[in-house]
Amino acid sequence: MTGIQLKNVTKRYQENEFETIALNDVSLTIEAGEFVAIIGPSGSGKSTFLSIAGALLQATEGEVFINEQNITHLNEKELSAVRLKQIGFILQTSNLIPYLTALDQLLVVKRMNGSVTKEDKIFATELLNDLGLEKKRNKFPNECSGGERQRIAIARAFMNDPAIILADEPTASLDTNRAHEVVKLMANEVKARQKAAVMVTHDERMLDYCDRVYRIEDGILKEETNLI
Amino acid sequence: MFLALKELIHSKGRFIMIGLIIVLISWLVFILSGLGTGLSDLAAGTLKRAEANAVVFEEGADMSISKSMLSESISDDLLRQKGVSDTAPISTFSTSIRKSGTSEESGKKTDAILIGIEPGSFIEPTSTEGKNLTDDAADQVLVDSSLKNDGFAIGDTLALSGSTEKLTIGGFTDHQTLNHQPAIFVNLDQFRTIRYAAPGSDNGIEDIVNGILVQGKDVDLNELTKADEHIEAGSKKAAVNAVPGYSAENATITMMLWFLMIISAFILGVFFYVLTNQKTQQFGVLKAIGGSNGFIIRSVISQVFVLSLISVLIGIGLTYLTTLFLPEAMPFHLEVPMVMIYSIVLLLISLISSLFSVVKIAKIDPLTALGRVE
Ligand SMILES: Nc1ncnc2c1ncn2[C@@H]1O[C@H](COP(=O)(O)OP(=O)(O)O)[C@@H](O)[C@H]1O
Ligand SMILES: [Mg+2]
Repeated sequence: MTGIQLKNVTKRYQENEFETIALNDVSLTIEAGEFVAIIGPSGSGKSTFLSIAGALLQATEGEVFINEQNITHLNEKELSAVRLKQIGFILQTSNLIPYLTALDQLLVVKRMNGSVTKEDKIFATELLNDLGLEKKRNKFPNECSGGERQRIAIARAFMNDPAIILADEPTASLDTNRAHEVVKLMANEVKARQKAAVMVTHDERMLDYCDRVYRIEDGILKEETNLI
Repeated sequence: MFLALKELIHSKGRFIMIGLIIVLISWLVFILSGLGTGLSDLAAGTLKRAEANAVVFEEGADMSISKSMLSESISDDLLRQKGVSDTAPISTFSTSIRKSGTSEESGKKTDAILIGIEPGSFIEPTSTEGKNLTDDAADQVLVDSSLKNDGFAIGDTLALSGSTEKLTIGGFTDHQTLNHQPAIFVNLDQFRTIRYAAPGSDNGIEDIVNGILVQGKDVDLNELTKADEHIEAGSKKAAVNAVPGYSAENATITMMLWFLMIISAFILGVFFYVLTNQKTQQFGVLKAIGGSNGFIIRSVISQVFVLSLISVLIGIGLTYLTTLFLPEAMPFHLEVPMVMIYSIVLLLISLISSLFSVVKIAKIDPLTALGRVE
């Protein structure tokens, strides 16, 4: 089963007379169970890539498939539904809702989709346990450390049982030990639950946990072979 | 609802401010409304409460009971008009009363309005204490309960200034005032004896009355005037509006109320907007993880609703508490239907004022969640 597939995707930004090519003819396929990293200097197009793969942004040219569904021509409402059902986002820091406990952070995903069942609660608890958050189940974000908060965000990304997981610099605000711990847990979950996962990172120490590494420069994506 | 309630409970502090504003606004609205009803009762309570559909006056009297004089016999002609089911004559006379036995010069006098009616006609209010009017005991009267505060009680004999006639309080009734004076309902025959004691003061009109109230499902005002050449007819509302001072007082209070509501809509709108603005990033995250506009807007609206509902309820509670401490002389009458109407209006106002925020939410780009700084 294919998780994400990009076919000749180009993204151009038009600003006054200037045109920026943020992604230049990018093609990439990530299968379920694969954990892929994308590295590159700032301004190279990483966020743009993630936004397009995550149904947040439309490509200028080319086609995007998520879980074998072509999302290239969907409208805003349909894209929102795709994000809800097929995509788990792990964003940078401070993306938790401040007034929800760890458990509720996960359950709100289910709320958006209708209602919360008993099974949902059991699943949420299981996810939190997998990520070593047994004791934080009923804690608010301000009662958790940075690493714990990022692990909650990871658990939330898995909550809707999506086809793909997208992470935007998930270790940006963590020290080395915490960063290793978080990425290791994320890799474990990706493998155990057979997701297609992409992590954008600045942090080359994290690449050991990934199956493949791509480098992006000026919008051009190339697989990195000599790193691993 | 889920997000709305969780946030209300978790971040009480920031909502108490807004809640407090809504409480104060609704408190003021209810107090003003009570004062408005109190004042308009004082001016025209008896007319407002009469279950009449129209009032007939002498032609040229400008719908004013005190200016009009006509014969009670017109009632029979009115009853023959289309749609008329019942009539009730009314006469009024402002006077002052004192307890019988005190002297005209030194005794304590109280202003009151004498209202002559047929006992048992539909304009007669039911007594809340004591007896209603009867045909037999002509000197027995039914009076407004505010006279209790002036020391009057059932069984007291009243002397009227400028008259030798004596009246006895047979019962009390509530909220019956006219021309800002407490009402004294008296048998119409007795009324005529008092009011038209001087020969010729009735202009020679037989069975004189000031006006005739008309009851009936679809009474046509034009049809009514065909009953007699020298009469004019108006709706009850027109008669109430013609009571001296009524329109002016009412317009003042109503204007204050609506200004208050409009101003509060803006204040609340700004507050809700600022609150929404502070949460742009949060809403962006919710959208990025798949929250629809509808989900987020519903949660914001339900939050505003719950907050406003609680605040308005507290406002109602405070208002009723306040009434316990209001001075007796203050005309204040809180009517439950009014409280309900204004509560709904207040709820609608806060919901409408949150619409600015709704527009803002719909525009938030889920990309903001990625924290991209351009
Ligand atoms: N909304 C936008 N409008 C115009 N240019 C943009 C916009 N977003 C990104 N860009 C440009 O596209 C390029 C890639 O940006 P981005 O994907 O954010 O890179 P990265 O995440 O790797 O730093 C940059 O040159 C950036 O200036
Ligand atoms: Mg970026």
